[in-house]
Amino acid sequence: MSDHGMWLLLAGPAGATGLYWGLYRYYRNTDKSHAFERETAVVAKPVTGSDQKIDEVKGTRESRIEGDNVREYRRRVQRIEGEPPEGG
Amino acid sequence: MPNANTPPPVPSYTGPGSPQDVPPLPGSSPLDPATLPKPIRDELQAPDPVAIDTSSAELKDGVNRCPKCGATDVRQKPGTDELVCLYCRHQWTAARVEEEFGLGVGIDQLEGTVIASGARDIAADAASMMTFKCTGCGAEVTVNTQNAMTARCHWCRHVLGVNEQIANGAVPDAVLPFHIKKDDAVARIRQFVDKRRLFALKAFKDEFTPENVVGVYLPYMIVDGNVSADVAGQGEIETRRYKQGSGDNEKTYYDADVYQLDRHVDFTVDDLPLESSAERGNLDTRSNTNNIINTILPFDTKNAVKWNASYLASFTSEKRDLNVEKLRPHLEDELLSIARAQVEASVGQYDRGVRWEAERLAVHGTRWVSMYLPVWLYSYHQPGPNGGMLHYIAVNGRTGETMGSVPVQQWKLLLAAITVGGFLEFFALMILGHAS
Repeated sequence: MSDHGMWLLLAGPAGATGLYWGLYRYYRNTDKSHAFERETAVVAKPVTGSDQKIDEVKGTRESRIEGDNVREYRRRVQRIEGEPPEGG
Repeated sequence: MPNANTPPPVPSYTGPGSPQDVPPLPGSSPLDPATLPKPIRDELQAPDPVAIDTSSAELKDGVNRCPKCGATDVRQKPGTDELVCLYCRHQWTAARVEEEFGLGVGIDQLEGTVIASGARDIAADAASMMTFKCTGCGAEVTVNTQNAMTARCHWCRHVLGVNEQIANGAVPDAVLPFHIKKDDAVARIRQFVDKRRLFALKAFKDEFTPENVVGVYLPYMIVDGNVSADVAGQGEIETRRYKQGSGDNEKTYYDADVYQLDRHVDFTVDDLPLESSAERGNLDTRSNTNNIINTILPFDTKNAVKWNASYLASFTSEKRDLNVEKLRPHLEDELLSIARAQVEASVGQYDRGVRWEAERLAVHGTRWVSMYLPVWLYSYHQPGPNGGMLHYIAVNGRTGETMGSVPVQQWKLLLAAITVGGFLEFFALMILGHAS
């Protein structure tokens, strides 16, 4: 019961913050840019690759993998230089 | 007698330098020019011809003559790609660069860096002011290529345009003429702002005059690329989901299998536009609103026509100030992003997501063409610290796509947010009051 009460008390500040940023973005469009990933003519050959099971996770409370970036195309990760290995 | 003069068949050649060998790296030479006699050295060290020559010899003297009557009063016919002679009403269209220079074909065969002549490096000593000798009367007419590409001779009213590909970056390979007319752009801007009036800055609303919109040609590099990319990381598949505890302490737990993933994709991109002005390319939304102009990309660059300064009459233009090498990191960043988007569909079974940890890009070939693209631009300067903020509303001069930044009246927006938050809080307290 007390837990639910605390959640409800957050409704005011959360609503105010959400509305502020929602409207701010609608006016200022700071989150917009050219969606070149979708809007460029790309001709790709079929994707190849390998999948290897390496571990199991038991009893985690996280609903997603840590550091999930599958949709964050523009966030760069470690860049490896040079040619791919044999068969890559 | 005639038979004796027949040349012998050309022997098949397999030695060094034949097509069977791996070609040397671009720019490398087995010869050291310093050790060679001057005439040969001069030859070796002379600049290479540019791959695609888009300079137009017939327009070198800066005068665009009507092909029919020879008059120089040439304008773009609004809403079309056609040029019209204001003297004899003859209409014609410049050639599309897509076919003229074969830009749409062979992207998957691209190797090395192919740079069209208008996209060459900017010479450090090139001036932006150009002086023409008017062929009509001999007077000297100056064009400031920072913001204009045509001028009218003040004595004889001849129109002079910058057509020669001077090395100051002002003359591109191609231009995409405006299709959206000014009235249309004004209507779109008005419509855009009408949807954002409630919390708009009062001064912005008071001074709002969309008729002040300016048609401007902005410089872009249009890049084709042939690349391969690899990404590696870990993905997880949920195997079990269960709850433990009861009531308020009930918690959800997950079991998952962890996989090591590798993905490889070969792809080509066609006509990726990159801002080739350093100022426009800076998309830091804390200090500028250039992202607005970035958002209205892409353009139908396939319809771009060969450079002709007449298209720029009555419009302003911005000069390119970035070279191919400066833009390469930006291009590679976008190519990696495209690669990541391409491989996403192949990891759909990883329902707990994927964490990419490493990526590799191999650029096999790129082709660079510089272009002026048409943008209707309305701007409003909001005073403030650090010089304030320049807000743009931009309309794509071809597709009409409209995007803008409308300055907000902070106190109004805050007041609205706090009021709504207050109501929510009031209801929350009511519910809690009833429950206890």
